[in-house]
Amino acid sequence: MPATVMSQWAQRRRRVFQSVFQTDVSQPTPHATPCIRFPEQGQPFGGLAAPPYDGPRHGTVTASAVFSQAAAAATQELLQGHHTHHHGHALLDPQDPSPTAHSPTLSTSSLSTIPAPSQLAQPFFPSLATAADDQVAFDRAWHVVTARIALPASATADDSFGTLAPDSQFLPHQNLSSDGEFYEALALVVQARTVLPRAAHIEDIVAWHAQQVRAHFAQHVVPLLSGCLDGEGEDSGLDSVESKGTRRKGGRKSHNYERHMVIVMSSIRTLEAALRLYFYGLGLLMRGFARLAESSVSDKASVDANLVAARFRRDIHALVGNSASQQLMRSVSIVLVRLTGTILGIPSEDDNSTEMARPCPPTDDDLRALAARQRLHELVDQLYNVGLGGERFQVLFAEIMDSMMSKFVTGAYAGVWTASNTRGFSTVTNTISRATNISSTSTCILSLGDWVENHFARLSFEVLSRISPDSPSPVTLSDVKTYQSLALGRLAALRISELFDIVMAWPSSCGAIDDLRATITTTARRLQLTGNFSRALQTRLLHPGCSTLEILRTYIAIIRTLHALDHSKVLLGHVESSLQLYLCQRDDAVRVVVTGLLAGPDELRAAKKVNESTKRPREKGGKCGEVEAPNRRDVEPFRTPGTLSRGPRRREMPQSTSRRRRDSTPEPQPVGELRVGASSTKLVEFALLLNDPSQSRRTAPDDDGDLDWNDMTWVPDPVDAGANYKRPKSEDVIGTLISALGSQDAFIKEFASVLADRLLVDPTRFDQELRVLDLLKRRFGDAQLQNCDVMIKDVQDSRRVDAAIHRTRQRQDKQPTTPATIEKPGKAAADAAGEGEMQLHARILSRLFWPNLEREHFILPSTIVEEQKQYEHGYESLKTGRKLTWLNQLGQARVELELRDRSVTVDCTTAEATVIYAFQDPDAKDDAPPARRSVDDLYNQLQLDEDIIAAALTFWTSKGVLRRLQSGDEYAVAETLSQPTRDATAQDEAESIVQEDERDSPRKPISAAANAKEQERRAMYWQYIRGMLTNSSASMPLFQMAMMLKMLMTDGFPWSNEELQEFLGEKVAAGELEVQGGKYKLIKNRKVRKDQWLAVHVIYGDKVLANNK
Amino acid sequence: MEDDQNSAPGSVQANKLGGARKGADGQNAAKRLQTELMHLMTSPAPGISAFPSADGNLLKWRATIEGPDDTPYAGLTFKLSFEFPSNYPYAPPTVLFLTPIYHPNVDFSGRICLDILKDKWTAAYNIQTVLLSLQSLLGEPNNASPLNGEAAELWEKDPTLFKTKVLERHKDVDED
Repeated sequence: MPATVMSQWAQRRRRVFQSVFQTDVSQPTPHATPCIRFPEQGQPFGGLAAPPYDGPRHGTVTASAVFSQAAAAATQELLQGHHTHHHGHALLDPQDPSPTAHSPTLSTSSLSTIPAPSQLAQPFFPSLATAADDQVAFDRAWHVVTARIALPASATADDSFGTLAPDSQFLPHQNLSSDGEFYEALALVVQARTVLPRAAHIEDIVAWHAQQVRAHFAQHVVPLLSGCLDGEGEDSGLDSVESKGTRRKGGRKSHNYERHMVIVMSSIRTLEAALRLYFYGLGLLMRGFARLAESSVSDKASVDANLVAARFRRDIHALVGNSASQQLMRSVSIVLVRLTGTILGIPSEDDNSTEMARPCPPTDDDLRALAARQRLHELVDQLYNVGLGGERFQVLFAEIMDSMMSKFVTGAYAGVWTASNTRGFSTVTNTISRATNISSTSTCILSLGDWVENHFARLSFEVLSRISPDSPSPVTLSDVKTYQSLALGRLAALRISELFDIVMAWPSSCGAIDDLRATITTTARRLQLTGNFSRALQTRLLHPGCSTLEILRTYIAIIRTLHALDHSKVLLGHVESSLQLYLCQRDDAVRVVVTGLLAGPDELRAAKKVNESTKRPREKGGKCGEVEAPNRRDVEPFRTPGTLSRGPRRREMPQSTSRRRRDSTPEPQPVGELRVGASSTKLVEFALLLNDPSQSRRTAPDDDGDLDWNDMTWVPDPVDAGANYKRPKSEDVIGTLISALGSQDAFIKEFASVLADRLLVDPTRFDQELRVLDLLKRRFGDAQLQNCDVMIKDVQDSRRVDAAIHRTRQRQDKQPTTPATIEKPGKAAADAAGEGEMQLHARILSRLFWPNLEREHFILPSTIVEEQKQYEHGYESLKTGRKLTWLNQLGQARVELELRDRSVTVDCTTAEATVIYAFQDPDAKDDAPPARRSVDDLYNQLQLDEDIIAAALTFWTSKGVLRRLQSGDEYAVAETLSQPTRDATAQDEAESIVQEDERDSPRKPISAAANAKEQERRAMYWQYIRGMLTNSSASMPLFQMAMMLKMLMTDGFPWSNEELQEFLGEKVAAGELEVQGGKYKLIKNRKVRKDQWLAVHVIYGDKVLANNK
Repeated sequence: MEDDQNSAPGSVQANKLGGARKGADGQNAAKRLQTELMHLMTSPAPGISAFPSADGNLLKWRATIEGPDDTPYAGLTFKLSFEFPSNYPYAPPTVLFLTPIYHPNVDFSGRICLDILKDKWTAAYNIQTVLLSLQSLLGEPNNASPLNGEAAELWEKDPTLFKTKVLERHKDVDED
């Protein structure tokens, strides 16, 4: 080597060097090294700028030569030491397994013996330190350093990459031998700016390393990572295709999780190995920096070094984090979902159990949860260490936690509405307190808060503190509060979505109402609630498929539920408008309500029983609640591990209870299957409510709650209350419902007509009616229900009058007659079979107070007519100045029929009795053939409506009294039950017909009455039209008439213009109107007017005559 | 008395104008008039009829009276206009004959001297009673306080001439 020191040989030496080392020499020298250094500098080798050699390579070699010379001259000894030292190293080199460290390493290391002396030498030989020398020194030092921290090109490395990396750089003896040299070189490189001021091309070693790491990562690690994915990739690709289509069963799913876990773990291992490699270089550098800092005067260097290291670390993490593939993140997320799910107690979809279990937080001793937690901690640590704990992970984690919260809320609380404290059906209604009592939070909310605090927040704290160790506390107390409010929001959304079912399940769902009350705190949520609920109403209730009864039942439930939810009734007001509108379209709404109101006591009892039986399993009865408390816990909506359930009993609960609970929770069901027994066809709830004393409490009109200074529960009006908002005091289901049905008057009118029907049908007992009437009176006042009072009094009076008349008739047969004004429908108890013994009892109704009672004309049996006359006489003698008008069709009769082989006693209507009476032939002999009549015969005989005759015939046929003859139209008396079987079938047939008819029959009198009413109405309209054309304007167009009528009729004018036109057309045809130019005009009697004019003329004549006179 | 009668229509007019503002009173009046109309239509009295005017204003009505038999007005029909104050029925309506009529208590512009339309008005009266009163006024004029002195005189002295004048004066008003 000394032979090469001569500068004049430099050129040749370089050539030789070039020929020997070819391109290999540049291998450890990074590309980053500036390549056009020398030509610029114009150094002794300036003339060599032209040759196409790689600058750095050239420079390095030359520099080493120069320095060798200098060192030889000055510090022989030291140099020698180094030199020999280096030879030893060089000899070892060939054993270096690193592919880069071949023979070139030998020569470079031998050449690079100089930098350490140069560092020392420089102060002693400043004259020698030309720019070129500085540069050479730097380059050499650079080479040493980079050679040391160069990364292996482990392109061929497979998964053993991790183990390979240390080998390539961590040869202990090499380490020992070259450490000093390395650190010196490093010092030179780092301090190049001060030590080698003239070396113009210096480089930041850390940056170089970072860049090298980047390149290495891109070239080697990324393929390895994708290899990790690819190893399972085909499978996962397949799986993703599958998951789009049919979902696999649990086994497959859990396998899925395992596979993703493998992917994640192998990726992590690969990254770990790579990072170990990268940080090894960094570690060396850092150690160099540390040494430098020790020797250096300024400790700024160490600070710098730390900064540099931190930056490097950050860079690497960013690199890893950003280069993580979608697939990897997907695997990570699958693994995370599984682990967090287990920790938070949310069963994942790929759980082994085929049925979905309800989520519930795990206990402290749940091994699965503990293991999962352990695993998650490890995983997060590892992810963080390899740089996957960056922003993407945080976002991913946040998303997962978010979905976990939703899953938990929907999973754990959907359909769990059990009341926190057992309150009975009636006691719920007693909560009059206007303030929403949030302190009585439900179990759901308590357990949810507990879950968020003890599981959710804990988990996020654990994970976040692992991935961001810098920040002092990643999850603060206020964060926990935020989580809880978020969870409550989810719960609110859930309850809102199932509000309709909650309403349907009332009152067993008051727990859910408690939830809602506590969670519905903002106006936005209230709006959401009303909006959602209105939509649900539209789709689930307000359609033709629901009977009015169901709608009304639901309405009652809505009123009670929403009242429990919000005593101010504002929510109810928002919701019920559409319902009320829809109810107005249901003609039978009022009738349903009224009949429900008048439900008999037995029906009430049945309904109560149903209520209780449905209530008992759900809410364990108020009184026995204490005793049953332990059992009740099993049905608790939710098991809160921390508070409720510690101890051995809990062990087996998750499975069993969850299943049981699921059974007991009402599934969303069609409205048709309401909880109130399907048997009840009346709105008995209404009657129950009416009997409930808390419901009948009326609010005093002058009671202004805002002025009651002693009211400690006063709360301001809700913000979303309307302008005319009046604070209601109580639930007042009946009041709300009745006001929903339109006016109070309509309700009372309907009540009167139903009451009339019932009073006429069942003459003896009307306790129920009286009671209801009393209750209604308390609500509406006496004046409103005066008619009903009179009706009941009529019935009571007529009983007395009837008895009196019968008494007097026994004494004297005939009475003087007097005209009178009272109209009266008769109730004839006709004894058709016996000829003489017939009793007639009448019910005397005051015409003005009873709802429309139309007379229907038919000819009663003569005996009855006779009776009626006598009765009339009796009455008129009793009450002078009054007159009876018989309403024959409204009566009832008990008929005893003596047939040849049997006698039949039947209660029937008067019309039916009349029809069967018509079959009686007083002259008939005993052996005569049975009497037969056709419908036409009967019609002629009785002048009864044919439909009624037909219905009566069917009635008697069903009783087996009449028989339809083969000829079809004729009926004959079945004197003997000659052919029982045939009769039976006939009877069945007839019965089925009767049943149909019975369904029709209520309609028939109504339609007759409606017809009469319609006639009346048309007559009135005609009056209006005549009045209009007489007075307002002699001729009017159709639309104007329609408009006037609509405006002027107090009851409203229901006709469309077409209907009116039709009506007017009839009048035109009848000659009462004429049309002129599209206007209607009354036809005046011209003839009369002519006569008048004639008369005038005559009179004029008279007058003239008189004047002449 | 006479003075009162002569000035009365004007004062009623003023009353009406004063009460013409819309308000709760107007609503009540409209409601009451609707009910009265209903009553008139459902139980009409012979020879009289009334109806709100064609413009749809409930406070303006038209009425028709047929002259009663056995009076000079037999066979004639008379149109009247009713204008109701907004505080009706607490103030009387303004009633005018639209059909020219020769009558002791009606002047040539159709104004009527009838005590119940002035100071004797009570809320118990209604359109029907007013019309019936007017109908009876046709047969039994109050000649003690006539608006049309000649007619009052002729009523007593020359019934034939009176009837001639009635027929002369009568003229059907068909507004359209």
